[in-house]
Amino acid sequence: MSATLIPETASATTTMRRNFWSGVWRVMKRKPSRMAGVVILVGFAFMGAFGPMFFPDHLPGDVNALTKPPSWEHWFGTDPQGRDVLALVITGSRYVLLCATVTAVITVVLGTALGLFSGFKRGRWDTVLMRITDMKLTIPGLPLLLVLATVWKFSSPIQMGLVLGLLGWGGVARAVRAQTLSLRERGFIEAARGLGLSTSHIVGRELLPSMAPYIAMNMLISVTGAVYAQVGLFFLGVLPYESDNWGVMLNLAVFQAGAMIQPNALGYLLAPLLAIMLLTLGIVLVVDAMDEIFNPRLREE
Amino acid sequence: MKRLAAAVALLGLATVTACSGGGTTNKSSSGGGGGLFTTIDVNRPGLEQSAPANPYAPKGNSFVGYNAMNIAWVKNHLTDPNQALPGIAASWEIAPDNSAITLKLQPNAKWSDGKPVTAEDVKFSIGVAYTQGSTAFSITPGAAGAAAEVTVVDDATLKITQDMANPSPKFARGVFDTIVLPAHVWSSVLPADFWDKLKASRGDGADAEKAREEILALGEKVLAFAPPKDVSAGPFVLERVNPGEALLVKNKNFFNAANVAPDQVKFLNYTGNEQIWNYLTAGKLDHSAFVAAPTDVMNRIKAAPGSDVIKGYSPVAVGLAFNQSKKPYDNVHVRRGLAHLINREEVTKVASPEGGTAAVTTTGIHQKAAQAWIPDTLGALEPYKTDVAKAEEEFKTAGLTKKDGKWTLADGKPWKVSMHAPAGFSDWLSAQENIKSQLIKVGIDAEVVTTADFPLYLEELDAGKYDAGFWLMALGPAPYDIYQRLYGRSNGWNNIAGKVSHSPAGKNGNWMGGPEEIEVDGTKVNPGELTAKLNSSTEEEAKPIMAQLAKAANQDLPVIQLWDYVNNQFVNNSRFTGWPTDDEILRSGAKVLLSGVWIQTGMIKSKS
Repeated sequence: MSATLIPETASATTTMRRNFWSGVWRVMKRKPSRMAGVVILVGFAFMGAFGPMFFPDHLPGDVNALTKPPSWEHWFGTDPQGRDVLALVITGSRYVLLCATVTAVITVVLGTALGLFSGFKRGRWDTVLMRITDMKLTIPGLPLLLVLATVWKFSSPIQMGLVLGLLGWGGVARAVRAQTLSLRERGFIEAARGLGLSTSHIVGRELLPSMAPYIAMNMLISVTGAVYAQVGLFFLGVLPYESDNWGVMLNLAVFQAGAMIQPNALGYLLAPLLAIMLLTLGIVLVVDAMDEIFNPRLREE
Repeated sequence: MKRLAAAVALLGLATVTACSGGGTTNKSSSGGGGGLFTTIDVNRPGLEQSAPANPYAPKGNSFVGYNAMNIAWVKNHLTDPNQALPGIAASWEIAPDNSAITLKLQPNAKWSDGKPVTAEDVKFSIGVAYTQGSTAFSITPGAAGAAAEVTVVDDATLKITQDMANPSPKFARGVFDTIVLPAHVWSSVLPADFWDKLKASRGDGADAEKAREEILALGEKVLAFAPPKDVSAGPFVLERVNPGEALLVKNKNFFNAANVAPDQVKFLNYTGNEQIWNYLTAGKLDHSAFVAAPTDVMNRIKAAPGSDVIKGYSPVAVGLAFNQSKKPYDNVHVRRGLAHLINREEVTKVASPEGGTAAVTTTGIHQKAAQAWIPDTLGALEPYKTDVAKAEEEFKTAGLTKKDGKWTLADGKPWKVSMHAPAGFSDWLSAQENIKSQLIKVGIDAEVVTTADFPLYLEELDAGKYDAGFWLMALGPAPYDIYQRLYGRSNGWNNIAGKVSHSPAGKNGNWMGGPEEIEVDGTKVNPGELTAKLNSSTEEEAKPIMAQLAKAANQDLPVIQLWDYVNNQFVNNSRFTGWPTDDEILRSGAKVLLSGVWIQTGMIKSKS
């Protein structure tokens, strides 16, 4: 590439970027629900990152207020140890969200890399990798997790995220490969090849951006998947007791506090459920916005 | 064996389940207007449709008290282990030195197929009990309180003698707590030469060893045996089982059938406490034995129409036990310091407000039994009131140091109190979570760790894997049973053939690793040997020994006694009445479903 071309490319990218962000802003503004989605996600990210810092390492319990219904003092009531349920949700968010993030990153990085490579290279590599992916897809996730839980305590959210991530990349890999196979035959890739651009440029600059929205959406969706999976495991009680976790809260609410029988523990049961619901809602709304941003056909100018 | 029996007994209590039941829709009609009695089997969560009517099969559909009978139903006396209500035996005579018991069977006892229940049936059942290793019928050489001879005197009389080489005062209890099986149905499980084999197994040497192995091998056959249909000597016979419930109908041939109120009994399926709470709050059960429940749930249960809770005495307590091979728990001052820190009232309030009473102090005995055994000593013991200053003093004596508000070990390493409990024992977990809070408040780091289930918990505890864990104790009524929880195998003393030997920490199941001798009132005592003595003492002889052991336990603290269980029996007066309130019949043998006993003795009356 000649040196004279560089400034032009750079300024073109800057303009594109500016257009992109103003496009994002327009899309966001059109439906306030999308803004709400972003606010929710930012809120959860803040809660997971900084929330626990506002509370002592060990939440104090009040033995005179065991399993109390919601009140002004305790918005979601107290648990059977007399601790504030809201504080438990906030301190418990770090494990859940960190694990979900790790899962999402692994799912997306691994799935995209394999899918792109497979679809772009085709041939023998494609066959081998896709057979491996097929095999992976046949492994039932939950039963495997149940078995793993008997030998592994998953005390760190990163371990948990790692396992969930390694279990979840198959679908993404398949979809990305299909997309790659379709895109690589399009004109603009042909043109890039004709220009003699390197493979890494074609993959990184031409293919990947056109798949970015798809990948981003997958990432967010795998966050919800990871939250459900780990909360489910803790709820079923197959993982060790660790009170700073939404799943454990659900388990204790039902099996220790009797939330299905007596209304006092309802707050304890509903608070983590509400958190999960809100998180899912935020993700759904943001995915909706993303869909429009990346898919020009949906843009109603 | 004793360990197994203890585990089973405890499991029944601690897993928080319940026994028989109450409350049903009175739609069933089978004449007589007795109605349907609804309950649950506290010992077995999860009914299995295909399981045989075999009381020994782990999932068997044989409910002791209903369609399976014991020789007699042992009572829950504070001090005398040998009291019982008549079962298949109508009466008995126990020799004053406990050397023999003569059983007189119910004259009208019949199996549900019309054949009479004979002394031969009982002898056969004792043979089967040998293959499972019960307390009185054990083939372990030198086991305490084992039977020597079983003699059929006549069709309705049976004499069983105790092997006086290593006698036990609760020999008769072991005999009573034996299930009676129909020999004409079960005969194939025991070979014709069984009793010869049993005799051969009594000696020493290779032949005896081989005979013992053969008898143990028969045990497997017993567990797997499936009678073609239920033949019961009890008040009911199994009719059918489906995944939701087991249905039993009245046995017309039962010797006291005229006084059995319900025509049918239904055992509902359940998998956890939460499901039992549901049944109880809906008023579905006529009776359920002890289930741990939080206060709010308990209030809901009490509010159900007709619902009532009978509170009784249960000779079980729970304590925080230490592995004294691990630092800093080898130092008695650390244990005493912790005892001063843990507020037992608060722990009980959080963990078991309805099912327990905070321990007065650590004695090793349930507070109610302690009133009977050691009334004079009780007041003189250190009460271990919550006192942070005293605790800190003890920790300092032990060489621990406080740095930046946190207690560290003598060598400056951080100290974390790691407490273990089986997952699913919700009251234990609540308690440990509360203890953790209490300790963290005063600068001791703590954690709660769970183990998948109770058998695994006991296995790992036994292997010395835990620093500290909850331990069921004070298992009365027999004094030996009470103290062998503290100064028995788990603390190094093995009682074989009446000879006590001490194993060092980490050997032969000694996971507590306490000292072999403790100084009590200026003299050194060996608590394990004292405990063993209880096995052959009369009630009066046992009392001073109990006092000495209580003092030893109180100052040495192998465990910190936290709460003494209360026996809650849930009943419902809507359909049946006549529930007993006498403590002595609110608890019985390991497998016994109490309401079956109450029904068959005619205590329970139908309301209609």
